[in-house]
Amino acid sequence: MSPAFETFVARLYVDEKLRQAFLADAAAVAEGAGLTADEIRAVERIDRTGLELAARVFEQKRRHRAESIPPAVRWWRRVTGSRRAR
Amino acid sequence: MTDRVGLTWHPQLAAAILASRERIDLVEVIPEGVFLESRRAQRALRTLAREVPVSIHGVSLGLASTRPVDDWRLDQFARLVDCVRPECWSEHLAFVRGEGVELPHLAAPARTATTIDATAVNLARAARAVGAFPLVENVATLIDPPGSEVSEQVWLNQLLATTSADVLLDLHNLYANGVNFGFDPAEVLRAIPADRIRVIHLAGGTTVQASTGEQRWLDDHRHDVPDPVYALLEDVGELVPHPVDVVLERDGAFPPFAELLVQLDRARAALRAGRARRASS
Repeated sequence: MSPAFETFVARLYVDEKLRQAFLADAAAVAEGAGLTADEIRAVERIDRTGLELAARVFEQKRRHRAESIPPAVRWWRRVTGSRRAR
Repeated sequence: MTDRVGLTWHPQLAAAILASRERIDLVEVIPEGVFLESRRAQRALRTLAREVPVSIHGVSLGLASTRPVDDWRLDQFARLVDCVRPECWSEHLAFVRGEGVELPHLAAPARTATTIDATAVNLARAARAVGAFPLVENVATLIDPPGSEVSEQVWLNQLLATTSADVLLDLHNLYANGVNFGFDPAEVLRAIPADRIRVIHLAGGTTVQASTGEQRWLDDHRHDVPDPVYALLEDVGELVPHPVDVVLERDGAFPPFAELLVQLDRARAALRAGRARRASS
């Protein structure tokens, strides 16, 4: 598996639009992301229940993290594009 | 043989932890958010480390990835470890980012030969930068990691054969994955080289339900440690030949501190029972 595959999976976890498109036509979306034939086959077999639940938890974590950062820090990071935004 | 039991450091628990030192052998500190970035906070952590054994537990490096770990992130950990001088440091066997995308949580890597090789390279780079290998922690996952070719057990054991990094074994993560993907966590535990297990994590979780009605077990660190995890800890006491550190992870929905102390006592009891089994076998 390549860094491109990992990036694609990461985006599936956090990008709702991509995930919906993928669930509608997995092979086309994976091919459009530049994955290899083996990688396309791998994501076509994805654990869909797990994907739904993982995406839900990632979204909860994102919200929790955003809420736990003081507003001034959020503003500063937005302005500076701080790489320490995680 | 002196096993030790402690818990994860949280600012809201600080006073209670220091007031209960006789029942808390060590604390584990997650450095992201404060300690990696602030020299002042690092000096405060160094002071704490003089009072109680401290370990550093990272969540942001993304070592189990086909991407090389960022030098600047390793430099941060190196500076922190150099300042605080913890007893050990650890990270997860997870990836946390891709090109242009940051994940807000740990993601289990595809279990393949490629990710084993890439993880081993990242671990070696981390060891060179920080001065010691991190302990590596197994992660919980709600999704069978896409692209996987081998089981979690095979992947972990093959990784351990390629690296000098030892194991921080999270028993609740092992339990959760066993529930979610239908394997016996006790069997997997017995397959891990016991001489490589240094630290144990305990935690709790809850059931989550998909739109299909299927349920899985979420490792959320907001619930008490379930009974099967204590049973696994007893197995650890039987299997591991050297002293281990056990850390209770509780990150929210905090009960009265006395209840956390009761869970620490229960962990000690489980370990003692396992040690007794080992002595009599």
